[in-house]
Amino acid sequence: MRLVMLGLAALLSLMLLAACGGGDGDGQAGGGNAPESVLRDVIDRGVLHCGVKGSQPGFSYLEPDGTFTGFDVEFCKAIAAAVLEDADAVEYLSVASASRFELLAAQEIDVLIRTTTVTAERDAGRGVDFAPTTFYTGQSFAVHADSGIFSTADMDGITICVQSATTTEQNLDDLFAELGYSYVPLGGEDQENQDAFIAGRCDAWTGDQSNLASRISQLPNAADFRVINEIISKEPLAPGVLDYDNAWKDVITWVVYGLINAEELGVTQSNVAAWSEDPPNTAVARLLGVPFEGGEVADLGFDVDPQFIQRALRAVGNYGEIYERTVARVGIARAGTLNALYTEGGIIYAPPYR
Amino acid sequence: MAELPQPAEARPPGRVVLPPHRERARRPFADRARDWARHNLFPSRGGTLLTLISFALLVLLLCGVIWYVFFGADWSVVSSNRWLLFAGSFPRDEEWRLWVGVAVVFFMIGVAYGLWSRFNRRDLLFVAIASAFLIFLMAHGGAAAWSSIWFLVALALMFGGYVVAVRIPRDNSRLRVRANRIGIALIALALPIVLLILMVGGGAVSTDFDGFVLNVILAPVGIVGGLVVAIPLAIGRASSLRIISWTCTAYIELVRGAPLLGWLFVALFILDDVIGGSLVVRTMVVLAVFTGAYMAEYIRGGLQALHHGQDEAARAVGLSRRQTLQLIIMPQALRVSIPPLVGQAISIWKDTSLVSVILPMRELKGNADSAIAQTEFIADRIEAYVFVAVIFWIVAFTMSRISQRVERAQGVGER
Amino acid sequence: MAITERPSSLPPAAPTPPWHRRSVRNQLFQGAYLIATALVIVYVINALNLREFGFGFLGDPAGFAVPNQWLIDYDGVTNSRFVMYLVAIWASIRVMLVAIAFATIIGVLVGVARLSSNWLLARMAMLFVEIFRNTPLLVQIVLWYAILIVAIPPIGEVFNIGNAYYLSNRGIAIPWPVPDPGWWNAANWLVWVWVALLAAAGGAAWWVRRGRIARERDTGQPHYPNRWAFSLFAVAALVTFIALGAPVSIDKPIIEGTHYLEGMIITPEFAALVLGLSAYTASFIAEIVRAGIQALPTGQSEAANAIGLTGYQRLTVIILPQALRQIIPSITNQYLNINKNSSLASAVLFADLFFVAGVFQNKTGRALEMFVLIIVTYMLISLLISAVMNVINARVTTHRV
Repeated sequence: MRLVMLGLAALLSLMLLAACGGGDGDGQAGGGNAPESVLRDVIDRGVLHCGVKGSQPGFSYLEPDGTFTGFDVEFCKAIAAAVLEDADAVEYLSVASASRFELLAAQEIDVLIRTTTVTAERDAGRGVDFAPTTFYTGQSFAVHADSGIFSTADMDGITICVQSATTTEQNLDDLFAELGYSYVPLGGEDQENQDAFIAGRCDAWTGDQSNLASRISQLPNAADFRVINEIISKEPLAPGVLDYDNAWKDVITWVVYGLINAEELGVTQSNVAAWSEDPPNTAVARLLGVPFEGGEVADLGFDVDPQFIQRALRAVGNYGEIYERTVARVGIARAGTLNALYTEGGIIYAPPYR
Repeated sequence: MAELPQPAEARPPGRVVLPPHRERARRPFADRARDWARHNLFPSRGGTLLTLISFALLVLLLCGVIWYVFFGADWSVVSSNRWLLFAGSFPRDEEWRLWVGVAVVFFMIGVAYGLWSRFNRRDLLFVAIASAFLIFLMAHGGAAAWSSIWFLVALALMFGGYVVAVRIPRDNSRLRVRANRIGIALIALALPIVLLILMVGGGAVSTDFDGFVLNVILAPVGIVGGLVVAIPLAIGRASSLRIISWTCTAYIELVRGAPLLGWLFVALFILDDVIGGSLVVRTMVVLAVFTGAYMAEYIRGGLQALHHGQDEAARAVGLSRRQTLQLIIMPQALRVSIPPLVGQAISIWKDTSLVSVILPMRELKGNADSAIAQTEFIADRIEAYVFVAVIFWIVAFTMSRISQRVERAQGVGER
Repeated sequence: MAITERPSSLPPAAPTPPWHRRSVRNQLFQGAYLIATALVIVYVINALNLREFGFGFLGDPAGFAVPNQWLIDYDGVTNSRFVMYLVAIWASIRVMLVAIAFATIIGVLVGVARLSSNWLLARMAMLFVEIFRNTPLLVQIVLWYAILIVAIPPIGEVFNIGNAYYLSNRGIAIPWPVPDPGWWNAANWLVWVWVALLAAAGGAAWWVRRGRIARERDTGQPHYPNRWAFSLFAVAALVTFIALGAPVSIDKPIIEGTHYLEGMIITPEFAALVLGLSAYTASFIAEIVRAGIQALPTGQSEAANAIGLTGYQRLTVIILPQALRQIIPSITNQYLNINKNSSLASAVLFADLFFVAGVFQNKTGRALEMFVLIIVTYMLISLLISAVMNVINARVTTHRV
């Protein structure tokens, strides 16, 4: 009697969970064999599953109230606004660097916006397709201010905190092989590395320069550390999606390009509403998906309606605004870096939206 | 167990002397205290030395802990992240669902305690201390004063359930039998009921479970699911049909061969191709499958502990194989194996902390990691982890206490 | 299972159809079960898509380095992934061995202390058990690690004890024996000759001890087996050491810049893992020891008291040897748990086999292969532990007290 009841209860709860699990729209995702677009799944589900890091100030960061903020998070919101008409319809998953591609492949996440470097091997071999680069950076080292280390030439024999299973780790190994130096690696996730570095467990901490600079700038004792003035690699960070899903990749690509174009065209979060009513020129009208002076709305053939970039802009503003609101807040200036618009000496450049 | 006085009937019957404790009670307290101390603390020179060393150690430890808790530590990492640690990304508007769930669970604990055991002074002390700690945690700073009221309501429900249940006479009356059944049904249905409260009617979805809430949901799923997997496995392994016993053995040994992290790795990377489903569900399946293999071994131990006369007698009175198993063998085997099964349950409760090591899910420990990633709390790692350890400890200790009390009251573990 | 025979008083029944016979039904049932199992396996294999299954990728260079090496010189550029995996297995085994030793010692002490007649000591032992048993091992390990790297001073403010022992958050450095050219300026392999000779001397000492114990039994006269064995071993060690020209010297650690050189360095990662595993497992072993002792009839200690043994003698000569029979199987289980729990190493940045396998998986995407490798490795280590413990168990249980 008791046994039967116990079994019944277990079955019931498992069924309930399975039902609810399936209710999120994941139920069929794993077993599906037809290459159906993630775009369809996202729309059906009504929620975007966005894989972020969750522990990097300025990029993606979990606040005490359980909400996420940051540059990467803003792009998640932009995509959700574009596709689902609701910037808050996002489920953020804090993804470890070690499992991010598998989670993408298993469709646990629809899009990976996790300071992920574009590499040929990932593009060709790991089933990832990359949207345009949203942020350009390079690998560097943080050291203790009093350490006497000023460049990689001073680094023979030191202990280095490096995130395991990343391009960072490979670059480091290549560099030291080239220099003929030895080093002791200490590898964990970013957060653990930071803690070990601050405590003095390792002499240097390597990672994307932007990441190092932003994290150090946030420390109460920021003056005790510095980032060396040497960059050892190219790290273009871009959103990743699954291979062979053009409909979805196109949307994400053009949300990114759209936000960049908006900056070039001067469309901001504050004027987007007014300009949607009364666009100043055809380029803006096309971007916002509204008719210009009584003309037709240009449908460029996306699998979402033509106003998707307008919605993204209403939700998060243009590229420059996102940058100012997030990355600039943690002390990474934009002017004069690669991340400035091409018109201002950077390489942020979007193909025309037409 | 050791500290419990022997039950009355264990004393040799038929002697007409005053019971020793009453003899002793006639003497003045100071004398008794001195005697006790002489026996238990200062029996010999070596014993005295041992006591002094232990005492010094204890004082040192206590001073260290008190200093740390009140002066050394900065608990703002916990107090500013209460919600994050407790429920994380659970929708804020649906907070009431969590509290109703807590109230239901507390009520069930109260009923179970009332039915099968009794609160003694020590239990009350523990509940009082734990509740005071939690209420202080919630009310501290005023931000979450509402939740302490919710908590008090849940506590009141627990005592209400207890007071009602404890009045049911402990005999073989019909009322008692029925109450026992209702109690067991309540416990068995606790998980589905709580899940219903959380999810039904536009509540949370399975990916909303986060922080402490995720631990509290994963552990019972692992325990109940594990039991469901374990019983057929144990019977299968003990079966005389070779193929069945071999495959069951192979399954049990395979699962027990790899660490839980390894199986979570399977849930993350491999299971997707085999059974699909969302990650939360896959994790639950893995937890059940994993726990099941361990529990099967304990139940098999219970089966082996049974005298084969039980089986023969049941067959002799004409019960079928199924009836024998269901009415005679399994109830006894389960009863014998309850202590290790509870041990396994506590173990899986602690193991839910592994979920955030490789899966993109953040339970209590994972959210503590998120809390110390906040730049103002980078220096407060130890505080955050101590808090997590204390919370896990409270639940695990409560589980072990409840099971000990219920076991003792029911004579479980013996035959 | 009881055999049901048809009572002869019943009227002769019609011949039973074969499917009513137990044996036939069993066969049918097993057949159906087998088919179902086979179907499940085929489904799983099919779903896993094993076309690309293979371990060839283990031959490629690993492309990253690991810390916590000991007795090994490995680098990720020239060595293959397979070699790195072996290095990682060795790292895991080191953790396990040390943790097993500590857990056993602490566990037995605490278990005995729990039954002490000393009230305070017994309570403190109980406190230890209740604290460490009821908190997750993962949290304990990360807590130890946090304490070791945050609460212990950095290397700039290192604790220096006599220029030989150092403690900082880079780890503990202690003097350690190393091969030495010695008086005859010999090659390094001479030290291994010495180790081999020591092993031989140990074997001989063991043999002498056994012989003397046997004679003690037969004659009832004291033959001092332990003293003899120990002296024999010490003399042999000393003589061979001198004969080989002191092939070993003790290296004191030194600090150069921000790191230790020479000596034995115990990193905080290793220490946190070992501390966590030992304390956690010790709390379980303590309970096992306590239960094993409590299961003995009280007459055993009473008799020991009656013949005037001291408390220590009572414990070591009477109680523990008997309790071991019940204790060892359960302790074996705890050792197997240490094996599996060592996979938590990655939580404290220690590159054990699970951590390295995870990195390989991440770099190559070969989840299934890596999982197969992980499970086979852990099972092999488990088998090894079980085998050793079976030998010990056999010795203990045949040894009559």
